[in-house]
Amino acid sequence: MSLQKERSRVLQTTKKIGELIMEYFSKAWDLKAQGKPVAWITVFTPVEVLHALDIYPIAPEHFGAMCSARGLVLDHLEEAERKGYSQNLCSYSRCCLGYVLGGMSGLMPPPDILITFRNSCDVYVKWWQSLNMHIGTPLFVGEAPYVLTLEDLDNYVLDYVVKQLEQLIKIVEEKFGLRFDVERLVETVKLSDEASELWLETLKLRRFKPCPLGGRDSASDIFPLVVMQGTTEAVKFYEELLLEVKEKVGKGEGVIENEKFRLLFDGIWIWYAFDLIKYFEDRGAVFVYEPYSEAWAHRLDASKPLESIARKILAMGLNVDIDLRIERFLESIKEFQIDGAVLLSNRSCKSWSTPQLVTADALNKKFSIPYLLFEADMADPRQYAEAQIKNRIDAFLEVLGER
Amino acid sequence: MYVGIDAGASATKAVIINKEGEITSYAIVPSGINFKVSSEEALRKALKTSNLHLKDVACTVSTGYGRALVNAKSTSSEILCISRGTHILFPSVRTIIDVGGQDSKAIRIDENGRVLDFVMNDKCAAGTGRFLEVMSNILGKPIEELSTLHFKSSQPVKISSTCTVFSESEVISHISQGSRIEDVIAGLHEAIADRIYNMSSRIGFEKDVAFTGGVAKNRGFIDALSKKIGLIPTLPKEPQMVCAFGAALAAIKKCKESVSHS
Repeated sequence: MSLQKERSRVLQTTKKIGELIMEYFSKAWDLKAQGKPVAWITVFTPVEVLHALDIYPIAPEHFGAMCSARGLVLDHLEEAERKGYSQNLCSYSRCCLGYVLGGMSGLMPPPDILITFRNSCDVYVKWWQSLNMHIGTPLFVGEAPYVLTLEDLDNYVLDYVVKQLEQLIKIVEEKFGLRFDVERLVETVKLSDEASELWLETLKLRRFKPCPLGGRDSASDIFPLVVMQGTTEAVKFYEELLLEVKEKVGKGEGVIENEKFRLLFDGIWIWYAFDLIKYFEDRGAVFVYEPYSEAWAHRLDASKPLESIARKILAMGLNVDIDLRIERFLESIKEFQIDGAVLLSNRSCKSWSTPQLVTADALNKKFSIPYLLFEADMADPRQYAEAQIKNRIDAFLEVLGER
Repeated sequence: MYVGIDAGASATKAVIINKEGEITSYAIVPSGINFKVSSEEALRKALKTSNLHLKDVACTVSTGYGRALVNAKSTSSEILCISRGTHILFPSVRTIIDVGGQDSKAIRIDENGRVLDFVMNDKCAAGTGRFLEVMSNILGKPIEELSTLHFKSSQPVKISSTCTVFSESEVISHISQGSRIEDVIAGLHEAIADRIYNMSSRIGFEKDVAFTGGVAKNRGFIDALSKKIGLIPTLPKEPQMVCAFGAALAAIKKCKESVSHS
């Protein structure tokens, strides 16, 4: 198999993400020093509400991904294991617990409040309760019921989540002596919606052949959507990104020169093995669609701020029925002209991995799209069998090439 | 002449074929830690057997774990090589179960030898040749004797762990509790057969089913897996050479391509 020439395949805007992340964390320490509250949140918690209240949100899941990508994760994982946490637990939770047990002296300042909404992940609540026991910081647990159909959402669960958001606001107002300003919330909701709109528009441009934005871009560029939703910095970032991608489309420039295969990736990226994306690209295969990248964007309606935030918490991909997930999968095949699917069965994320076979079989049945399923952990590099995985990728691409 | 080299995790195989695709000679050497050395040695041996020289080789294709380290015109994955090789030997085969030194695979092919689907073992040595090598060491019986002993078993023991390391202690405890060595060996063959059966079930066992790879030289294992699946398998005379043979067939194709390109 001949390899494609390496040239810069990562977007200029993506290259700014590293700095943006470091700034975000260092600002957290600055604000903490000024006496402003810092919240540790699970993802898909109402960041817009927190920004409106001047509470600074940090997501330990994001911290775990970042530590893994930068080769720093083992310190925290091993610290947790030394204290008795099992290797069978989710690697994000282990990384976070190890950080806490190691004294919290790195990128994340100690939290003033712990906030979680049980929606996408069943581990959240017990993880946040454990943090609460270790650190002693107050804890807010929200609960988003499982959504079977989008009609359910309108029928009865929306109010339930809105009431919890109101309760959260009341609790933090009292605890930190803050005053909630609805005008500010409307403003953050508008900014959040704008960032989501820009990101969705950018992702849609991946339908072009050659695809202008690859897996390494989409994996990095989601960061502002995780904790910066509702800020002008996030909007600025996505404006710049869209501009660059549009320009590439205009010039007919793709991630790789000779695009042979357009692939779907299902799962959370393997943060310590970004090279694997390059490995695909070297062989003419480019990732054009990932449910993961799309999941972070959600349109909000500023005229109904709390209601639309509640909707975002509820309609998160892993909190809705599998039919809805499969439907989006099937749509994406045509929209992005996909040739094959790559699925990561991730030992840390059972919610994501368990239904993968059902979704992949649906793809295969309807479009006879071949798929490759392999195992690894998203953040823990110790379970990763590189040679075996690459061997399977080679075989998979060869099979695609023979079709 | 055309050469296929399969640089596998435990053995390196070289097959030489003529332009009609007929095998003129082959050789097998231990892979050791240097695939470049082992592949050169395998090739030298094979050339010697058929009184050929390096200059007679028009094109070489390599496959296997060490494929990138072999001096060859191009590389191909084991999945495609095994499929191609088996299809030419046995056109009626639709399912191939290949058990090698470090991994096991099940491949479904169509009537033209095209790969329809495949599965491979997890990042773990259980269900591979390595598993049997480890066990033959503990039992102090050479790997070649496992077949003979298997058929002397009357009551295979149950090995419940799927992990090579844990199975090792299970084997030791069976022996210390007085189990016969033949029964332990048959139990081990059943354990890998179970694992491979489970892995392969996703793609099914459409007939004919061929067994390939080094472990398919072990009659005891073939017995256990055939019983588990419930059919009589198609067996190549040299199951370990099928993959290298497929690579040699790819070399013919590669040579034609490069001629038509120039």
